[in-house]
Amino acid sequence: MRVALFVPCYIDQFYPQVAVASLELLEKLGCDVVVPTDQTCCGQPMANSGFASSTAGCDANFSQNFVGFDYIVGPSGSCVLHLKEHHPSEKIRNSVYEICEFLTDVLHIKALSANFPYRVGLHQSCHGQRGLHLSSMSERNEKPFSKLQDLLSLVKGVEVVMPAREDECCGFGGTFCVTEEAVSVKMGQDRIKEHDANDVEFITGADTSCLMHMEGILRRQGSKVQVKHIVEILNHA
Amino acid sequence: MVQESMSARDQILGKIEALEPVNHPGDFKGASKDFDFRASLEVVGARVMTTEELAIEFPGRRRYDKTLDGLSLAEVEVLEIDGEFGVAENGAIWLTEEALPHRVAPFICQHLVIHVKKIVPHMHAAYEELKKPNASFGLFLAGPSKTADIEQSLVIGAHGARSLTVIIHA
Amino acid sequence: MLSHSEASENFIADAERTDWHDETLWFVRAKRDNASKVLPEWEAMREHASQIKDHTLANLGEYLQAFEAKAIANGIHVHWAADAEEHNAIVHKIIAAQGSKTIVKSKSMLTEECHLNDYLASKGIEVVDTDLGERIVQFRNEAPSHIVLPAIHLKKEDVGETFHQHLGTPKGNKDPQFLTEAARQHLRGHFLASEVAITGVNFAVAETGEFVVCTNEGNADMGAHLAKVHIACTGIEKIIPKRADLAVFLRLLARSATGQLITTYSSHFHKPREGQEMHIVLLDNGRTRQLADPKYKNSLKCIRCAACFNTCPVYRRSGGHSYHQPVAGPIGSILAPNIDKKANADLPFASTLCGSCSNVCPVKINIHEQLWFWRQDLMEAGLAPAGKTIGMKLMAITLANPVIYRIGGSLMRRFSSLLNTNLNPWYKQREMPVAPKESFQEWYKNR
Repeated sequence: MRVALFVPCYIDQFYPQVAVASLELLEKLGCDVVVPTDQTCCGQPMANSGFASSTAGCDANFSQNFVGFDYIVGPSGSCVLHLKEHHPSEKIRNSVYEICEFLTDVLHIKALSANFPYRVGLHQSCHGQRGLHLSSMSERNEKPFSKLQDLLSLVKGVEVVMPAREDECCGFGGTFCVTEEAVSVKMGQDRIKEHDANDVEFITGADTSCLMHMEGILRRQGSKVQVKHIVEILNHA
Repeated sequence: MVQESMSARDQILGKIEALEPVNHPGDFKGASKDFDFRASLEVVGARVMTTEELAIEFPGRRRYDKTLDGLSLAEVEVLEIDGEFGVAENGAIWLTEEALPHRVAPFICQHLVIHVKKIVPHMHAAYEELKKPNASFGLFLAGPSKTADIEQSLVIGAHGARSLTVIIHA
Repeated sequence: MLSHSEASENFIADAERTDWHDETLWFVRAKRDNASKVLPEWEAMREHASQIKDHTLANLGEYLQAFEAKAIANGIHVHWAADAEEHNAIVHKIIAAQGSKTIVKSKSMLTEECHLNDYLASKGIEVVDTDLGERIVQFRNEAPSHIVLPAIHLKKEDVGETFHQHLGTPKGNKDPQFLTEAARQHLRGHFLASEVAITGVNFAVAETGEFVVCTNEGNADMGAHLAKVHIACTGIEKIIPKRADLAVFLRLLARSATGQLITTYSSHFHKPREGQEMHIVLLDNGRTRQLADPKYKNSLKCIRCAACFNTCPVYRRSGGHSYHQPVAGPIGSILAPNIDKKANADLPFASTLCGSCSNVCPVKINIHEQLWFWRQDLMEAGLAPAGKTIGMKLMAITLANPVIYRIGGSLMRRFSSLLNTNLNPWYKQREMPVAPKESFQEWYKNR
């Protein structure tokens, strides 16, 4: 299966290991992965800040890079949701997948050769969860499910623990993290407190932006807890 | 000073343009039915008693009396009235003005006793009974007056009756 | 006036109180979850209620006129107010005709929206708010911080001190039971003495011309039934078509608000009491403008349950006053800009767009999407904070061009330590990410 790997700008620049893990994992699972090399950004940082009117350049660049692909797969629920909701091209909107939903819904994977013998707290990033419906939502009266937990259950050794409030926002929120710095940090600290109470060694999730925010707080606190994108765990030998 | 006139009405109605039609979904179907009126009464803070227990609890209680008016009712300790029907899903009891000495009676008394002879399962069934207004004033009353406005601590007896006792005759 | 982010910073400075506020409201949300999850039909009811509201809004003019005709036939005086000023003038005229100097009022966010108390005070009329939470904040000269729990920002010590000052309760007594009893005695006097009572309206039924008022304390009824004149104030969006529609709304309202099965009192005012005068004031105040905009029309479906407040991770940690509007929280953030864009340009940004608000909403308002739309409209209206527009344009140019993007990214990684300064809001309480030597694209090229 031919797949175009969408690497969001901040992952490209600051978390290349997430993109590497995505590439390796998709290849391991038999995909023919293409990485369009002139890709940049989905346009979300502007749009969520109220400047959707300024994203035409990003939209056009994205289209140019990803035209003709039936499967555009990226390791960021938030960026994928933005494209699904706001990209002007219907073809792009219908072809873009968050990597976990691609693994469960398109590849239907039932086994992985991954091993990650640690206690891991799962963070449900809002845009992946409530936007892309990667898992059931605590607010709704619906049957519980979680594509992320289904995938993690295929990894040897990993012990997944949910925080007390299983799907509360971490407070990243794009530019919110700096324009509403006080609330943003408090939200992140509160998430971390719940993971700490569970004695986790890692916090994982499907959105690097949330993890970057929590990592920033963890490091400031001098915590030993590390963050890892879920594909890094799914690809961990 | 702004003069009240027909102009505000015309102005408001003039600004409302008909939107794309959306059908009314009709009456709600598919409500759960297995509700327990007694259990709901407990949840809303009401007590269920037999007539014998009631006689012991409120020996000097007063029956509904048409001669009382709103203000003298302030002196009434215990008001005993008939409810039209109870709703199993939430413990609410439908009361109408006709069954009350005064609209304020069930609020201003200190303790309220209601006799219930009929129970419907849920609010949809309740409004089946109430398709047409059968009173100038009616209410669903569920339990005693309560508030949690101070630190979310539940306090019974805010402004209305401090207790509700229900006698079920069904 | 402080912006939401400034006011939030002040609120959070008291970490212990913030945690208490967050946990208390989270508990209310948990009660809502429990109440909704025992009903298998919950999601179907939300959809049903949403459709009734969609249908009503699509025919609002007809339903308003139907309500008016029925209400008049029932002996209720119907008034129309285009804006807050007209609303207040109408209410004042009715009170002045009675010659009352003190009146009682139960909870009505609409009268807060119109600043009715201040207006009447300027005319020499004292309004006594009778909802316990509202009376507490009124004594303190504060606004309610939550539409269902007006004094949720206060601790019992605060209330004890306030009652000591205003009601003469013993200093240091902070027992909720005792304080509530003190308020009961104090307000009973006002109920018995007041000739005019104002209430809000939860639902106005077009089919019957009646209106429904829901309280737990019984204060709306105590006021309305003892007064010679009852004035009910409502927004034009509170209309519902049929009496039977109340079933689904009353089932949803209390469960969504507090997790209760139903509010203690759901009073159906159909006709005035014998010898009583009953008025209803129908207010527009921007609602027709909202109705005409397909992006924001749905916000008029709101039944004011405040479930979106209780679930909002931002509201719980910033408090209601940080929204500087009578209706705070997520719903307030999409209602307020309609009334004043400039004054409320910060509110749609007081959200992470997590979407929890839309999920708890009993009438399925797409709150988080409307927050997004408002962001666009506010920026288009030129209401961006200083420097933001130019910053965003530069960012857009950088991210749209692969060459500039690569150069920019490389520079940023190389000099990222320059961002480790307190001028960088990120760095204030968080470390910057460690910049890798190579970007993914650089690594990929050499793979």
